[in-house]
Amino acid sequence: MLKLVVPVLILLVALGASVLTDRPQPKADFSFINRGDINTLDLQRMSWMQDFRVARILFEGLVKNDVFTWDYTPKPGVAESWDVSADGITYTFHLRADAKWSNGVPVTSGHFVYAWRRAILPDTASDYFKLFQLVDGAQEFYEWRTAALAAFKRGDDAQELWRETERTFREQVGIRAIDDRTLEIRLVRPVPYFLDICAFSCAYPVYPPLVKQYETVDASTGRLKIESGWTKPPLLVSNGPFKLVQWRFKRDMRLERNEHYWNPTAISIDSINIPSVEDPNATVLAFSSGAVDWVSDVIPPYRGDMLAAKQAFYDEHAIEVATMRTEGLDQLEIDRRLPDDPRAHIHAIPAFGTYFYNFNCEPRLQDGRDNPFSDPRVRRAFAMALDKRRVAEQVRRLGEPVAGCLTPPGSIGGYVSPAGVPYDPPAARKLLADAGYSDPSRFITVEILFNKDSGHDLIAQAIAKDWQENLGVPVALVQREIKVFRNDLKKQNYMVSRAGWYGDYGDPTTFLELSRSTDGNNDRRYNNPEYDALLDAANAEVDPAKRLKILERAEKMIVERDLPMIPIFHYSQIYLFNAHRMSGISTHPRQEQNMYLVDMLDDPKGANRALAMPPRVRGSGRDLGGAVRQGTGGGTGQ
Amino acid sequence: MIGLIARRLLQLPLILLVIYTLTLTLAWAVPGDPLENPEGRRPPPEVVEAMKRQYNLDSFWSFYWSYLDNALGLRYARESLSGAAAWRTTDAAAHGEAPPARYIFDLGPSLQYEDWRVNEIIAGALPVSVTLGAAAILVALLVGVSAGVVGAVKPNSVADLSTLTLALVGISLPSFVIGTLLLLLFPVLLGVGKVASWGRLGDAILPALTLSLPFAAYIARLTRMGMIEHLGSDFIRTARAKGLPESRVLLKHALKNAFLPVLSYLGPATALAMTGSFVVEKVFNVPGMGQHFVNGVLNKDLFLIMGVVLIFATMLIVFNLVVDVLYRWVDPRIE
Repeated sequence: MLKLVVPVLILLVALGASVLTDRPQPKADFSFINRGDINTLDLQRMSWMQDFRVARILFEGLVKNDVFTWDYTPKPGVAESWDVSADGITYTFHLRADAKWSNGVPVTSGHFVYAWRRAILPDTASDYFKLFQLVDGAQEFYEWRTAALAAFKRGDDAQELWRETERTFREQVGIRAIDDRTLEIRLVRPVPYFLDICAFSCAYPVYPPLVKQYETVDASTGRLKIESGWTKPPLLVSNGPFKLVQWRFKRDMRLERNEHYWNPTAISIDSINIPSVEDPNATVLAFSSGAVDWVSDVIPPYRGDMLAAKQAFYDEHAIEVATMRTEGLDQLEIDRRLPDDPRAHIHAIPAFGTYFYNFNCEPRLQDGRDNPFSDPRVRRAFAMALDKRRVAEQVRRLGEPVAGCLTPPGSIGGYVSPAGVPYDPPAARKLLADAGYSDPSRFITVEILFNKDSGHDLIAQAIAKDWQENLGVPVALVQREIKVFRNDLKKQNYMVSRAGWYGDYGDPTTFLELSRSTDGNNDRRYNNPEYDALLDAANAEVDPAKRLKILERAEKMIVERDLPMIPIFHYSQIYLFNAHRMSGISTHPRQEQNMYLVDMLDDPKGANRALAMPPRVRGSGRDLGGAVRQGTGGGTGQ
Repeated sequence: MIGLIARRLLQLPLILLVIYTLTLTLAWAVPGDPLENPEGRRPPPEVVEAMKRQYNLDSFWSFYWSYLDNALGLRYARESLSGAAAWRTTDAAAHGEAPPARYIFDLGPSLQYEDWRVNEIIAGALPVSVTLGAAAILVALLVGVSAGVVGAVKPNSVADLSTLTLALVGISLPSFVIGTLLLLLFPVLLGVGKVASWGRLGDAILPALTLSLPFAAYIARLTRMGMIEHLGSDFIRTARAKGLPESRVLLKHALKNAFLPVLSYLGPATALAMTGSFVVEKVFNVPGMGQHFVNGVLNKDLFLIMGVVLIFATMLIVFNLVVDVLYRWVDPRIE
C-alpha cells in the first residue's frame, strides 16, 4: 500500500517546487487589461495600439500630445522648445537638460538620430517607415539601401557595406545632432502635422549603448539584424515616466516610477500592473471582481446589453443627463456627477476609426465580366440604399455614430468632415436607372465579401437586405477565412467587401491617402487624377487652414460624389472602469490614452482631481461613441 | 531494471529525432508565411528575403540542419571553442550593457513574439503548466480512485450508478463549460478566489479541478473495472476466509492489483496534463504551455512549434519510463 503513495509523493514534490519558485508581486496602484500581451517593446517595430499604449508610459518623445485638449496640442516632452523655419521645412528642437534615461544618463539628440535611423532603415522593416520619409533624403536613402541589400551576395564584405550605409545616412538624410541638446530635422516639404508625428511612439528614442549590443551585421545577407532580449527587464532602459520592472510573457507586466524622470509631479501613481488576459469574458469578470481597474477593450458578445443597461441608468436620470449634455460636458464628467452605479462603468468612447464597405472600382471583375461598380453613379446608388442607422443601432448596438465620411468628425481641430450621401431609396433607384440599370432584377448578383468572426456576417446580412429591398438587385454573401479574405482584397478578387481603418496621426490624410491611386492600401483601385491632384495640392500648401480646406474638398469628392467606399459607422472603443474612482482617461476620438496621467481618486496619492475634456457645445462635435488595430492593414480593422 | 532505464534513455534521442522530422515536415506544410505580420503593412520583398535567409527559412533542409545545430548545443560548443562567444561578451561588457543571452540548447527566436526566444517562453510557461498538471493529476487520483472503489464494492448499486454517471459527465462535458460555471459560481457569485489571476496557491484550485475532471473520470472507470475483476478472484476469497477486515481486503489486496492499470495510465496522463490545456488555460487565464501549441500552429511560428512539441515528447517519454520503473517496483511479477 505504501508503494502506491509514491506517485502521489512525486506529484506533491513537483507541485511544491514549482509553487515556491513563483512568488506574486505586491498589488499595484493601478492595474489594467491591455487585451493580451503586447507584441514588442521595440519602438521602431511597433504597430499595435496596445504596444503604443505601453510605449507612451515607458518612453517619451520630443513632444507629446495634450490628450485633454480638442486639438491635441503638442506639449514639450524631451524637447523643452523648438523653432520652425519660416518655410515650415526645418525644425530645430532644444532638448531639456534634465531629461534622463532610467539609468540616470542624459537623453541626447544623438539618441534621437539613432532611433530615427532605425525607423528609416529597411533592415528594421518598420511598419511606419513611410511616416519617416517626410524627412528630407530619407526616401532616397531607403531605396539606396534596399537596392544595396538586394545586390548583396554571399562573400561580399558586409561590414564595409554597413560603414557605407552609416556614411550615406549622415550625408543624405536631413536629421542631425548639432550638439547634445540641439536636434535639427529638415523635411521634404512643410508638414503641418509634423509635431504630431514626433509625438508618435515610433519616433521615440531608444538607448543606443544597450540596443547596439543586440545589433549585428549579418555576414551572409549584409542586413543589420537585431536580436531580442534588450526590451526586457532588468535590461531595458527607458526615458519616460515609468520603467519596466517585470515582464512575464503572456502573463503580466509591472511598471514602476522612473526616479530619473524630469517631471515627477505629473504622476499620481507609483506602480502599474498590466495582467495579460485574452479571454473576452475573463476581462469583464476580472473587472467586476475588482482585480483590475480598467479594461481597455470590452469585446464579449453581451457588451451591447451592458451598454443598454447604461442607457437605462441614464433614462432614470434623463433630465440631468440632458442638461449636462447641452452644457457640452465630457461624457465621463457626466458619469461622475451622477450617482455611482455599476451599470455606468461601461463607456463607449468614439474612436479614430471608421467601418466602411469597399467597391472594386476596376472596369472588369477578376472573372472577366464587366464591373458595374466602375460607374460612380452605381456606387452612389448603392450607398444611398444602405440604411446605416439600422446597422449601427440594431446590428452593432454599441452606440456608434453613423458615418457619412471617413475622418471621424471632431477628431481633428479645424477640419470639417463632409456630410456624405443621405439614406434615400427612391433617389437611389432613380440613380441606378439613370446609370442604365432600369431592370434591377437583371443586375449581376452582387457578392459581398467579408471574413468570419467579429459579427461581420450580421452586418453583411443587414446590408444585403437593404440592397435587395431598396434596389431590387440580387445579392449573395461570400464569407472567407481572414487570410483568404485579405488576399482577395489585395488582388481585387471581389465586388463589394467590408473594411475598416484607424488613423495613425492627427491629420485627415491618414484617412484620405488610402484612396490615392498609387497607395499600397488602395484595395479598391480607385483611380482619379483629380483626387490625387487635390492631395498633392494640399501637400504643397503652406497655410494650414487653406490646406485643410483643400482636404475637405478631397474628402467630399470621395464620400459624396465618387464613393469608392461607403462609410458606415465610426468605431467606438468600449472601456470598463469606474469614473468615480479613476481619472486620466481621455474621451478624445484619437484615443491615445496616456496611462501615466491616471489618478486613483480614492487613494491618498496625487491631486485626486478628475481630468476631463473642456466642454464642447453639442453639434460642433459628436455625442457618444471597438476595435483595436492602430492604422495599418487596409480593410481589416477589427 | 538498470538495463531498462539505459535502453530507454538510449532510445530517447532516436525517438525525438523521428518526432522532430515528422513535426517539422508537417509544420513546414502549414500554409502561410511565418514572417508575415498578420495585419501589418508588408516590408519590401528584399527585406523579407534577407530575413528568411537569416532564419534559414529559405529551404527546408537548411532549417532542418541549422535548428538541430542550435538545439543540440553544437553551435554553442563551436562558438565557445573558437572563442567567438568570448569576444562578443567582452565587447559588450566594454560598453557597460548586458550582451544577448546565450543558451546551450538554443531553441531559436519566436517568429511571432519577436521580443522573446523560445527558451524564455518555455522557461516561463512550463513551471506554470507543471504546477497545474501536478495538482490536476493529484485531484484526479484522489477522486478517481475513491469513486472507483466505492462503485466496485457494490456494483450496480445507487453509489455505483451515481459515480458512473458523474464519470460520464466528467468525460463528456467540455472543460470550457465546467470552467466557466466554476468561475461564475466561486469568484463572481460567492466572492471566493479571483478571476484571471495566477501566482497564488489558491489560484490553481479551480483550473486544477476543471483540468482533473476527465482524468478523474477515466481513473474511476479503470479502478472500478480492476476492483470488480479482482474482488471476484481466488486470493480475495482466501483473504476474506482468513477473517481479514473488509477494509484491509479492499485496500491492501484488491486495490493494489487494481491500481496497476491506473499507474500505467498515469504516465501519458501526467505528461498531457503538465504540458497544458489550451481550453483550461484560456478560461482561467493561466499563462501555461497549452496556448503555445495552438498559437504556434496558427501563426506558423516554426521555432515555437518545434520547441513545445519536443518538450512535450521528452516529457511523455520520461514519464512513461518513470511509470514503467514504478510498475516493476510495485509489482515484481512483471519482467
